[in-house]
Amino acid sequence: MNIEEFLSEDFIWLNEPVKSQLDVFEKVSAKCQDKGFVSEEFLEKIKEREKVFPTGLQLDGYGVAIPHTDPECVNKQFIAVFTPEEDVSFKRMDDSTAEVKVKIIFVLGLNQPHSQLAMLQELMVLLQDKEAVENLRKTTDKKQMIEYLSDLSKQKQR
Amino acid sequence: MNTKKKVLVACGTGIATSTVVVERVERLIKENGINAEVEQIKISEAKGKQEGADLIVSTTMLPTTYNIPTIIATGYISGINAEQLDEKILSELR
Repeated sequence: MNIEEFLSEDFIWLNEPVKSQLDVFEKVSAKCQDKGFVSEEFLEKIKEREKVFPTGLQLDGYGVAIPHTDPECVNKQFIAVFTPEEDVSFKRMDDSTAEVKVKIIFVLGLNQPHSQLAMLQELMVLLQDKEAVENLRKTTDKKQMIEYLSDLSKQKQR
Repeated sequence: MNTKKKVLVACGTGIATSTVVVERVERLIKENGINAEVEQIKISEAKGKQEGADLIVSTTMLPTTYNIPTIIATGYISGINAEQLDEKILSELR
């Protein structure tokens, strides 16, 4: 499975005005719950998990976040893509006392442990590509975002 | 004596980042001919599983202390200093 199969226009927010990571979680959870992809505990679980084990990643001069939580509250797998109008603060995965300003957030709705390796590797390689992240950040059209992510993941496979 | 070593690879939920790191560590072990096995866990399970294991490799911060060596491997996710992490892990297992 590659990234494309986890994406849907329903779960993409572009240049969205938000004040904090909580706004991000609330928007994504509400939509995913509405579409039946997550249980009603998802919001609380993802907030809790982010507090204990944050998911902000400091890369070379920019930040991204990959929030995710227990498989039990995910009914159907998905990846939500969220670009905030202005960078949002996340705590760092490797140091929860430090913060990172993130440009793009991928909420990972996964429920099968030990799998999705190919997709996760594609995603990690993609996040490490500064130019790609900049381009994703600038994308204003949902369809284009999906095409762009699929193209990138295909390039990375080669 | 070349006894088989055991590496615990952990992340917060045992579902996303540790999956990527398990693959990387398994490849590292194989390529360097090291006699070791890898188990993917949630970091909350590490305390109970450390006995019989030789090393904990975690993508998240450690919530407590352990009796065996630990390595924070967020670099495998961010790509920053990933080669240095390879060396650190190898030196623990050799």
